[in-house]
Amino acid sequence: MTAVIEATSLSRWYGNVLGISDISLEIQPGITALLGPNGAGKSTFMKIITGQLKANLGQVRIYGQKVWNNNQIFHRLGFCPEVDAFYEELNGLEFLSGLLSLYGFRKAECLKLAEQALKIVELQDVKLRPIRSYSRGMRQRLKVAQALAHDPEILILDEPLSGLDPLSKRRLIKLIKELRTKGKTIVVSSHILPEVEAMTSEIILIHHGKILAKGDIYFIRELLDTHPHMIKIKSPQFRELASWLAPEDYILNITFEPESQAVIFETHHRDRFFDRLNELVLNSDLNLEEITSPDDNLQAVFDYLVEK
Amino acid sequence: MREEILRVFSFYFFLGKKSARTRTFFLVSSVSILMALIIRAYQLAGYWTENGQVIFQNFLMVFFLQFLIVLLGLFYGTSILAEEVEGRTMSYITTRPVRRAALITGKYLAYLSLVSIMLISTVLISYLILNLGRDFRLDDIGTVFRYFIILWLGLAAYMSFFNFLGAWLKKPILVGLAFGFGWESIIQYFPGTTQKLSVAHYLKSLLPQYTSSSGKLGFLFIRLEPTKPGLAVLILIAIILVFLILASLIFSYKEYLFEE
Repeated sequence: MTAVIEATSLSRWYGNVLGISDISLEIQPGITALLGPNGAGKSTFMKIITGQLKANLGQVRIYGQKVWNNNQIFHRLGFCPEVDAFYEELNGLEFLSGLLSLYGFRKAECLKLAEQALKIVELQDVKLRPIRSYSRGMRQRLKVAQALAHDPEILILDEPLSGLDPLSKRRLIKLIKELRTKGKTIVVSSHILPEVEAMTSEIILIHHGKILAKGDIYFIRELLDTHPHMIKIKSPQFRELASWLAPEDYILNITFEPESQAVIFETHHRDRFFDRLNELVLNSDLNLEEITSPDDNLQAVFDYLVEK
Repeated sequence: MREEILRVFSFYFFLGKKSARTRTFFLVSSVSILMALIIRAYQLAGYWTENGQVIFQNFLMVFFLQFLIVLLGLFYGTSILAEEVEGRTMSYITTRPVRRAALITGKYLAYLSLVSIMLISTVLISYLILNLGRDFRLDDIGTVFRYFIILWLGLAAYMSFFNFLGAWLKKPILVGLAFGFGWESIIQYFPGTTQKLSVAHYLKSLLPQYTSSSGKLGFLFIRLEPTKPGLAVLILIAIILVFLILASLIFSYKEYLFEE
């Protein structure tokens, strides 16, 4: 299959700071996720493939065409930036129809396409409200709407789920998956593995500007399952919780934090741990206040891969 | 290209109309009306005996030509790119099928049109306040139009230069202030050809000479060695075009990074 996006030996640095280094990859239709911790080089890569930055070395082609200063490519490409920035004076409808007018659509067509995009991201009820009054979730969805309003074949979404509440995340993930069924090529970045997992199994692991691994998510899952990681649970019944889970063979270590009424479990089998935790919550009067991962699991996996 | 410029023009004209900055600068421009009312009151009270035309030209020199068009040109010109960088909205415009030269030209024209509307209304009202009554004739409207064309050329030239500064420098406002209110204010009073290195020199060369040494503020014309009007217009047009082309070239090849 011909690659939609083709990057060859891409390198980019900012003064002495490395952005990305020697990245070569081919992206096919469907959803591809760029997974990596903050500062890994995901945004730099996305800015290069959307023609906002130049690579110091290497080249990128979309449908065989160069990207830098090739404005015609943007008829086929939509970009959702990571930053939370808008023309705040406008309302949602004006923002979208204004940006659509830059494609050369007539006014009526701009309004029609803007309305359609607002409907897709479920913002039609607030379309006449100033953007400055939108919640974080609404703003994030509006960013996605401006990327897909002109119905591009390629969507580049930089951290689209960032800052969304769980319900909005689910909606957006559903939308991204629907777009895949329409034959679009979607590149999405994230630093949170479960988010990526919910969207696609095709991932590119990126860390310190380099690609560590490419392939399906099961490979990463296996690494996570063999690599111990920490789960911190805050609960008034933290001691009982520890006693219930201690006999399980996948629990490697337990640490108490009495001052914060929390317990930290170290496990090498995250899925089995959470299955058991769900059972305990359902079958007892266990009251959980907070579940966090003190060490960034993804970061731990990257460190593990780098060492490997 | 023309079609792309028109698309950008429409978008930014609309955006500009809705911006808080436009309302603020409209108010700043309206100060001229207040000032004209005060001067007229002085005139009616007999403290200012000169002809309304002379008073208006002095007023035009001090407030519009030496202050307002420089200020408007500075803030609107430098903001053409700086507001996209500072507002982090650059990616919205650079990922659309529009050439970068069209982006910068279309936005420049949109802002120039907006500011021109501000300018024409305040110039006209100020002129009428200072001249309506005694010996006002309809022909005088032609004079206002001439004044407006001079101011518009100045505004377009300043805005083009400041647009270039905005495309080139990271912090263009300080350099712009130094140029607009430092260099421009001083160099125009230097003798010989040195004064020709200011935009203000060519604008002053286009003003009617009958008032050049009259009025309370006639001293502002001291040392003016006027360039021929036709040549002055050509030089102003050249300034507009050269800096617009330079800004477009810089924007086409420069990357605009911001902290994330």
